[in-house]
Order: sequence, then C-alpha cells, then structure tokens
Amino acid sequence: MRRALLLIMMVSGISLVVWSGYHNIHERRLAAQEREAAHVTLIPDNSSSGSASGDAPEAPSPLLGKPAPPLSLVDLSGKQVSLSDFKGHPLVVNFWGTYCAPCKIEMPWLETFSKKYAADGFDVIGVTYDSEVGKDTISKNVRKLGVTYPILLSDPKAEKDYLADTEVLPMSFYVDRTGKVIQVTAGLGSEDQLEAMVKQTIAAGAQ
Amino acid sequence: MIRRMLTSFATLAVFAAAVPFCHAQFGMDAPAKQKSYVTYTAEAQSIPAGQRAVLQLRFQLVPGFHVNSHTPKSDTLIPTALTLQPTAGVKPGDLVYPPGQPFSFSFDPKEKVDVYAGAFIVKLPVVATPGEHTMDATLKYQACDNASCYPPRTLPVKILFTAK
Repeated sequence: MRRALLLIMMVSGISLVVWSGYHNIHERRLAAQEREAAHVTLIPDNSSSGSASGDAPEAPSPLLGKPAPPLSLVDLSGKQVSLSDFKGHPLVVNFWGTYCAPCKIEMPWLETFSKKYAADGFDVIGVTYDSEVGKDTISKNVRKLGVTYPILLSDPKAEKDYLADTEVLPMSFYVDRTGKVIQVTAGLGSEDQLEAMVKQTIAAGAQ
Repeated sequence: MIRRMLTSFATLAVFAAAVPFCHAQFGMDAPAKQKSYVTYTAEAQSIPAGQRAVLQLRFQLVPGFHVNSHTPKSDTLIPTALTLQPTAGVKPGDLVYPPGQPFSFSFDPKEKVDVYAGAFIVKLPVVATPGEHTMDATLKYQACDNASCYPPRTLPVKILFTAK
C-alpha cells in the first residue's frame, strides 16, 4: 500500500516537472511574440509633416544652412552626374522610390516647375532610393510620370550624406545658387507650397 | 526512505515553479531592435487534428500608418504578402487576404491606393497532425503615413497552434 502511494507520488511529481517545463517553453514563445506586438515605432511628428492640415512639410536636417554635400551618381543611362555640374543653379535634390505613392504625386509637379523656372536656371535632380528594383523598372516609372529631369541611382554615400538616419520619402533638399541648403522637406506638401519653396530657392543667393 | 523521496519531490517542484520567474527576470531585458510598422499578435489557437481548419493571423499597424493591401491595384506598389516556411505535420492551403480599403493622399484625392489600416486578419487554412505546432512565416510589407512612405520591411511571424 505504502509502495503504491509512493509510486503515485513519484509519477505525479515527474509529471508536474515535465508539464511545467513544457508550459514554460510555450509561455516564453507567447511572451516573445507579445513583446514584438508591444513594440512601438516612434516617428518624429514632422515626418508625417502635418500635410493633412496643409502645413509645409519642413524637416529639421543637419544640412540646413550648410553647403550641399558633394553628389556624384550614375543616371539611368549609366552616365556619371555630379552636383558640381549644376554649379551656380538653384535646384532641388529629390529622393524618391518606385514604391512611394506620394513621391509620384510630387514628381510631375517638380517636372512642371523645372520647365516653368528654367529661365531662372532652376533644375531638379531626382535620386532613386530604392534598392529592390532595377533600372528597367525605374525607367518605366519615370516614363509613366512624364519626368525628363535627371534621375540618378542612389548609393550608400549619398544616403549617408543626405538622409543620415531618416528613411522618409519623398525627401527634398532645396539648394540655392551658392550651393547652400536653404530648405529640407520630408513628405508630400501641396503643389502651391512646393512652388513657393522653388521661388524662395531661386531668390536666395541671387546677385 | 519516504521522507527522502518527499524531499526530492519538493526540490523538483520548487525548481519547476522557479523556471518561469528566471525567464521573466533575464529574458525581458533584451530590447527589440527591429523597427517595424506592423506587429503580429500571437494567439493560442486550437484546431481539430487531421481536418481542414482555418487559422486566423492578426496583424496590427502602428497608429497613423497604412500598408498596401495584398492587391494594391498598381504593379509598382509592394503588396503585403505572407511567406510560410514548410513545417512538419502541417499542410497549408492558400492564404486568404482581406480586401483593402481605398486611401488617397490629401493633396491628390483623385489618386487612390488600396491599403490595410488599423488591423487586418490573414486566414490560413491548414490540415495538421495531432500535437503542438509552430509555423515560421515572414510578412513583407511597405508602410506609408498620410504624406510619406518608408522602405519595405519584413516581419518574422511564429504561428503557434494545437491540433487535437
């Protein structure tokens, strides 16, 4: 009788240990997934830019007020294009991606302004920040958007120099004719806001 | 003899009870480094073994963001898609994605994209052998907010369920 009781207690004890071990593994898995679920990404308020309310999507950038970093990238035909090729011209360096819907709203506006203000020497340079697609897809998108200004392919140096830790698209750097960055925007603003900044860029640094 | 056995049992029981607390103390300190706009909420699901059953996979978006639906209506946009890894004892069927909802950016209301916002559920039909199963999967998505977009991301997903 005592042996039977002892045997039952031992079996119960071992069962409890096994169950506890299994339960612990299961709980750990669930806890790990709950931790992932509870992970919150913090995006600066300016990245969403308040565009819904119509505010200008200005972005704080270490480049603001400083000379634009040198940029030398290949275009879609494989030709090397440098920022220094545009010396003395007011311009916009616009980072975009083929997956970025707001970029595709903004690019035809930039195309319009590049033509409208061509007499003032105004230029636009598009930089494709899109590692997942090849030149063909980029070219197809550019043709569809009716863009004729230079489209360059980004590289890690350009991303480090201009975007730093941000990854917001579209992102635009307004460079006056002296080569200084006078405005940085992240996200889509209105067409009127964009034109106002283009005019400001043309006026800035004028003799 | 009995007293010795009881002592051993008590020791084992104390160890078993202590293990989860040890995990809570050390395991929770590791911060999640991956930046993500979508999270997956694990739910303990139970299905009948050997029969076709549907698992529900719940995804949640960080407030203020949306991702393209599985059918974003443009071949240049990146669809949200789940890729399953083969798992012993589990035969998956075709994933069923929810329909998206139309979304337009405030400065171009005519241009509409098809998105998931808030939360969405992907349904996964499976036939599984009896027991506990863990399926590994990866959700690929590309997020935007009301004015900006962010590069494509992947979210590792562990689907836990029991077939009885």
